Amino acid sequence: MNTSRATKPFKWVERIRIAILYAIGLLFLFPFYIAIVYSIKTPMETAESPLSFPKHISWSNYADAIEASNFFLALRNSVVTTSATVALTILVCSMGAYVIARNNNRFYSFFYYLFMSSIMLPFQVLMFPLYKTWADLHILNTLPGLITSLTGVQIGYFCFLYVGFIKTVPRELEESALLDGASRYRTFFSIIFPLLKPINMTIIVLSALGAWNDFVVSMVLVQKKAVSTLPLVQFQFFGEYTSQVNMAFAAIILSMIPIMIFYGFAQRYIIGGVTAGAVKG
Amino acid sequence: MKRLYKNNLVTFTFLIPALLFFSLVVIFPFFRGLNIAFTNWDGISPTYDYVGLRNLKLLFSDTDAIEPIKNTLFFAFSTTFLVNVLGLLLAVALNTKFKGVNLLKTFIFMPMVISLVLASIIWRYIYSDIYPILFHTDSGLLGNPSTVMLGIVIIAVWKEVGLAMVIYYAGLQTIPKDMYESARIDGAGIVQQFRSITIPLLMPAFTYCIPLWLGTGLRQFDYSMVATKGGPGTSSQTMAMYVYNYEFPYFKAGYGQMSAIVLFAFILFITVLVTRYFRRREVEY
Repeated sequence: MNTSRATKPFKWVERIRIAILYAIGLLFLFPFYIAIVYSIKTPMETAESPLSFPKHISWSNYADAIEASNFFLALRNSVVTTSATVALTILVCSMGAYVIARNNNRFYSFFYYLFMSSIMLPFQVLMFPLYKTWADLHILNTLPGLITSLTGVQIGYFCFLYVGFIKTVPRELEESALLDGASRYRTFFSIIFPLLKPINMTIIVLSALGAWNDFVVSMVLVQKKAVSTLPLVQFQFFGEYTSQVNMAFAAIILSMIPIMIFYGFAQRYIIGGVTAGAVKG
Repeated sequence: MKRLYKNNLVTFTFLIPALLFFSLVVIFPFFRGLNIAFTNWDGISPTYDYVGLRNLKLLFSDTDAIEPIKNTLFFAFSTTFLVNVLGLLLAVALNTKFKGVNLLKTFIFMPMVISLVLASIIWRYIYSDIYPILFHTDSGLLGNPSTVMLGIVIIAVWKEVGLAMVIYYAGLQTIPKDMYESARIDGAGIVQQFRSITIPLLMPAFTYCIPLWLGTGLRQFDYSMVATKGGPGTSSQTMAMYVYNYEFPYFKAGYGQMSAIVLFAFILFITVLVTRYFRRREVEY
């Protein structure tokens, strides 16, 4: 009886607090709302009332955007680049980190610190010489060139995450497999790699997001439309179609759809991934 | 003995793919860039001369570099401050159970998964079309040289605060609940609990977050590039853009590369210093 009186004002404060939090949530959604509304309005209606929801939905913005931005080509380039970068990253980093984690000697520690030292390296330091090197190797403006760079610049951080995880995996299993005569490669791929599932998921989401959304690396290494990924096409597209805002926003929504679907399905892994390096488990 | 040697070789082959990518993309360009920084190369012509430290001297006497330096420092420190303070407050506020709490976290983190290009473009229109209606002004923040950096900071805070929030939220889950319990029994209020339990025990998260945001803020290139192209005029140019402009459109690769290396040294110095400061304040419990 006493408690109900005590909790009543508390509940009231609690309601206000929650209402404020909802308002903050809506504030974060507001730019998405604007993007959606702009993408389905006619230019006339946009000029009259930019904020309101349209009376008549103009889907033709989307058809125009697909055609004018060559959306499916950019989508294809993004999908190819991202999946190849993710596959390479998983393979290359897990193998490298495995031997670094399992050999505590100076030789392997050297490589560990070498990889680690690249984490703080800004891309601006590599940008120009990498551009020149890629030109010398004739892989400038090619997807393999872009994929190689996106894989390479992330090796430091991803190996660091892998090494941390592999050190927690017990050695007994692989030792008995090695004693049974299995080769190192077989031991790794059939025993160790399946045990790395949690960290593999982390690296998959982190490298997928990184490659999919990359702008700085792609901007330097890719200048041709035929190999441009979605962020690059968006960037150029807005430069060219500043007057056709509604079509440009339709293009924005289109390129947001794949990543939003990914976010919907993999949210747990994405959040687990971005906090992986921060909190000691 | 022979078998052991062979084993070592086989072990090393695991590292070769990573080493190959790393050498090609990081090590080789890094040293090539170090070499370029001491030349007067324009980036295209087949010949160039070594000029010693002249690029460094030029950089330190270039008054045009002051504005990008100011902008970069303003961006880095204000985003680091705002993103971390707001992220921490949101994490604490959402660390309770109520209807829709997970949905709120989903919404606040959502800007983090879209590309920076999309975020900057959307905000460009919010500033030019929506902002004047809401605040009854003639122009948005990006059109005015004195407010353009603030406008860019707001974009970055909107985009990145969700990341800080989930990191601090994960950190809060590692704090044992009974610590708050015993503090309450001892009569500590909410503010005091926050100051003497939450903050010290979240130190590892601060050690991670603050150098991370300082480091990425100091190399900020993309928000300015997409939202304003450095304008109006050069009022939102950052150090990383300054580097880019000299290396590519201005054809002064040697000078640009030297500025890139100075930028790197500066970022390294700041982040190492800040990381040490926070690491010393981590407590065992």
